[in-house]
Amino acid sequence: MRANNLLSSISFIYLCFLFPAFLFGQSDRNGDRRVTGTYYISNATLIPYPGKILTGQQLLFENGVIKALGKNIDIPAEAQEIKGDSLLVYPGFIDVANKTGMVEPTIPEKPDDFDPSEPLPEIAGIHPHFSAVDHYQENNPHDQEWRKLGFTIAQKLPKGKGMLPGSSALVIYGHESRNNILSENQSLYFKFSTVGGVYPNTNLGVMAKWRDLMQNARLYETHGEMYSAQSSLRRRENNPVMDALIPVINKEIPVIIETSGELDIRRAIKMQEENNFDLIITGINEGDGLLPILKEKKTSAVLTLDLPDDKFSDPPEGEKGPDFEKRVERAKNAYFKSLSLAGEYEKAGIPFGFTTKHLSRTDFIKNIRLMIANGLSEKGALAALTVNAAEILQISAIAGTLSEGKMANMVLMSDTLFSEEAKVVMVISDGYLFDYSEKAEKIKDGARVWEYEAETEGRKSKGKWKFTKEDDNWSGTVSYDDPQTEGVKTSPIKNAVITEKSLAFTFSVEVGENTLEVKVSGEVTGEKFSGNMEIKGYGNYPVKAKRLEKPEIK
Amino acid sequence: MRTKLILSVIGTFWFIVVSQAQEISKGDVFIKNAHVITITNGLLEHTDVLVENGIISKIGSGLKEPKGVPVVDASGQFLMPGIIDAHSHLALEVINEASSPITAEVKMEDVIDPFDVGIYRALAGGTTVSHAMHGSANAIGGQNITLKHRYGTRDPDQLIMEEAPRTIKFALGENPIRVHGRGKNLQPRSRMGVEAVIRNGFEEALQYKAAWEDWNASEKGKEKPQIPPVYNSRLETLVDILEGEIIIHCHSYRADEIYMLIKVCQAYGIDKIVFSHVNEGFKVAPELAKYTMGASVFADWWAYKFEVYYSTAYNAAILTKNGVVTSINSDSDELIRHLYHEAAKTQRYGGLTDDEALALITINPAKQLGIDKLVGSIEVGKQADLVLFDKHPLSIYAIPQMTWVDGVKYFDREKDASDQRLKVDPEETLEPIFLHTEHHNCMRDVDFYFTGFGRNLFGHSH
Repeated sequence: MRANNLLSSISFIYLCFLFPAFLFGQSDRNGDRRVTGTYYISNATLIPYPGKILTGQQLLFENGVIKALGKNIDIPAEAQEIKGDSLLVYPGFIDVANKTGMVEPTIPEKPDDFDPSEPLPEIAGIHPHFSAVDHYQENNPHDQEWRKLGFTIAQKLPKGKGMLPGSSALVIYGHESRNNILSENQSLYFKFSTVGGVYPNTNLGVMAKWRDLMQNARLYETHGEMYSAQSSLRRRENNPVMDALIPVINKEIPVIIETSGELDIRRAIKMQEENNFDLIITGINEGDGLLPILKEKKTSAVLTLDLPDDKFSDPPEGEKGPDFEKRVERAKNAYFKSLSLAGEYEKAGIPFGFTTKHLSRTDFIKNIRLMIANGLSEKGALAALTVNAAEILQISAIAGTLSEGKMANMVLMSDTLFSEEAKVVMVISDGYLFDYSEKAEKIKDGARVWEYEAETEGRKSKGKWKFTKEDDNWSGTVSYDDPQTEGVKTSPIKNAVITEKSLAFTFSVEVGENTLEVKVSGEVTGEKFSGNMEIKGYGNYPVKAKRLEKPEIK
Repeated sequence: MRTKLILSVIGTFWFIVVSQAQEISKGDVFIKNAHVITITNGLLEHTDVLVENGIISKIGSGLKEPKGVPVVDASGQFLMPGIIDAHSHLALEVINEASSPITAEVKMEDVIDPFDVGIYRALAGGTTVSHAMHGSANAIGGQNITLKHRYGTRDPDQLIMEEAPRTIKFALGENPIRVHGRGKNLQPRSRMGVEAVIRNGFEEALQYKAAWEDWNASEKGKEKPQIPPVYNSRLETLVDILEGEIIIHCHSYRADEIYMLIKVCQAYGIDKIVFSHVNEGFKVAPELAKYTMGASVFADWWAYKFEVYYSTAYNAAILTKNGVVTSINSDSDELIRHLYHEAAKTQRYGGLTDDEALALITINPAKQLGIDKLVGSIEVGKQADLVLFDKHPLSIYAIPQMTWVDGVKYFDREKDASDQRLKVDPEETLEPIFLHTEHHNCMRDVDFYFTGFGRNLFGHSH
């Protein structure tokens, strides 16, 4: 069992193709080089909000707040200059419904005489009173990686297996010396899932349970009001679950419902119609037929950036029956329909945000580009990452655009956002400067870089091997996805033997307390490698690799 | 050339009808010169049926062809009312909420799956209405929903037959005992326990009702001397059963347990009850006739577990002859495609007449679902759920040619494309299409309670 887990973990391997520079040395990625709280960006092109471009601008911010922007603004003497020549400045991105850095809460043990038909709410996955803040690891490495891509604010959803994991929080991807919680109890998180083996166990029970909870929250509130007016009544026993639902029935906070398909979206709408709360639907991945309903109801919509995999560039193998072409065509249409969903939302005039949940970082810009190639405007994409997300999270007063009085959250790009060449040069978050402009280490002469793809237990894994030669000895690194987190990890290459026609080496992967020993060997024909990856004690898996002519590292 | 053009226009029109499903589609059609099996008024030869706005408006010979209404020449063919399945789990995402012996609060309408291609297959077998039921894991299961097979809509609510009364699933015998008693060490652990669970449920419901009546009465005064009761949709639903608002459809096999539930219902003044499966129904046929809304049986399916051995293929005929409102159901996404074969078996085993046999899959299940005023026979004023067979539907050679729901044609054998899926997985270039899909059945979604021994011992469907 454990072996399978390990294997499936390491098979998530992929590599940062788009921003290889980030993997290498930077001098001040944590914003530590701060000597003043006052900065100004000189001579930059500002995109203060989607659709607006101002050239030759200066932007002054102080203690985390944008003070002024324009062609001729007063710059205080203590302000440090950030040279904006040739840079484009965008508002910092906002991520809705994100879970990186969240840890699973501790759930009470089941008692010996446990009755699965009447579990404690916490055991049933019903803990709306849990707060994301209490289970959030501030300054976790994932969020720092997302910041490198331009994200400065995120809505954190609590983890939990059941239908009501808790309330969300807004956090800043700011400097680690600060408390970066922007607000807590910001919305109530609901999902169509269950703990399993206890009531509620399926969507049938989830829907029924939700109705009862809503109704009883109202009665609980009535009871409370009666008791405060009339103390001779039976007291109201404190019920944290009910307490957490009262802000929902009073429309003080919205419910954010996570969906994974159009039937879920319809259920969410039905729930909202029955109990009249403010609704955010997140995880939207299909259902263009629902646009008129969502528009009419002014539902807040959050689309997933996690698009389906492209299964069409390489035609499927195997025997082709008479309906093969037709069926492939239908699946292909469904694929392109997924890619065009964001564009359809834009066309319908429904403002929407994006969620990066389940998204691998390397797919972030790639997937937005796919959406743009399939009908979404660049303006619409930027709006989803900034103003619309701010609107959905009700933080438009402090975030979403570059304007006076808003938080100093911005992304400095080397080129137009979403263009092939664009790179994030700096990110300013909460007024702190994170500089990603350092040039990466130069690749040494004679270095060789291979891009590999391995198949383990039916999953594809990707990464790179980088070899350098010193005194006739090859050394280097192999990159793969960290089995325990979402990041890319590297291990040193050992025992490398490279000839014209063959390549072999070993490396180790740490998985918890275990170490997996991996041996790669195979034949080289020109630029191609074909061989075998042996994970000691688990099995052999085929590997293919291609040598990159010009390593992408600049 | 001309025919080609016309065909393509018809094709486009068909597509529009199916894809525009925001409002429930209702159609017009004129079916000419058919053998019309009315069910309630015998067989009418050379008869025309006119459907307007989803309702049968005229039945007669030599009716004038109305303008602008699609005409179907049914010469030599047999038109019968759409087949009704009183016990099905078709088009459901989930079947069992198996986590409690009573789950009266859950609603199958929350988990309708309009993308289930099985709906189309059922239409191809002439079935236009199915009773989408909760499974049999619990003594009192969830609230069922009656569906009309309006395949093509992406909106689950469009499949609901709005006019149908509420129904609920009960289950007796081995299934609830196994899931809760054996699986989780809860009541019920025996047939006596099943009765106790149901009686206790009703008793609690009465207390619940009284508590709310007290509260509502006290609300008139300004100072409320009491606090509000806790809302409980489970007990709320049981109260509705006691007040006759919900028809019970009870999974049952043995005569003793059937009679037990009849007695329990009598004790609580409940008369709306239908028994499902009822393999030993023939032993209590007079009682079923006198005290219930009938029995919904399999034609010849038994011996899949201990309590289902004492069975006979004559069951439906014996029940019918004793005056029980009897239907034959599928409980299977496969059987639902040929319920007319199942009905025909009663002619081999029991010698039922054509009308009696066909009533088992039309007007009788309609009565059991409380929709017999609307569907289940070909009568003026009824909803135009119709199926056209090339031969008499009780012939083994009969093949359904066209199926209409509310006058809209949802199946046409001539235009039966190979891929009828509404929704396609964007990541599956070759989505597997199974000839034998996993049978939807009474015990789906309860698997996690069993491992090894338990699963092998009870590896059956109903």
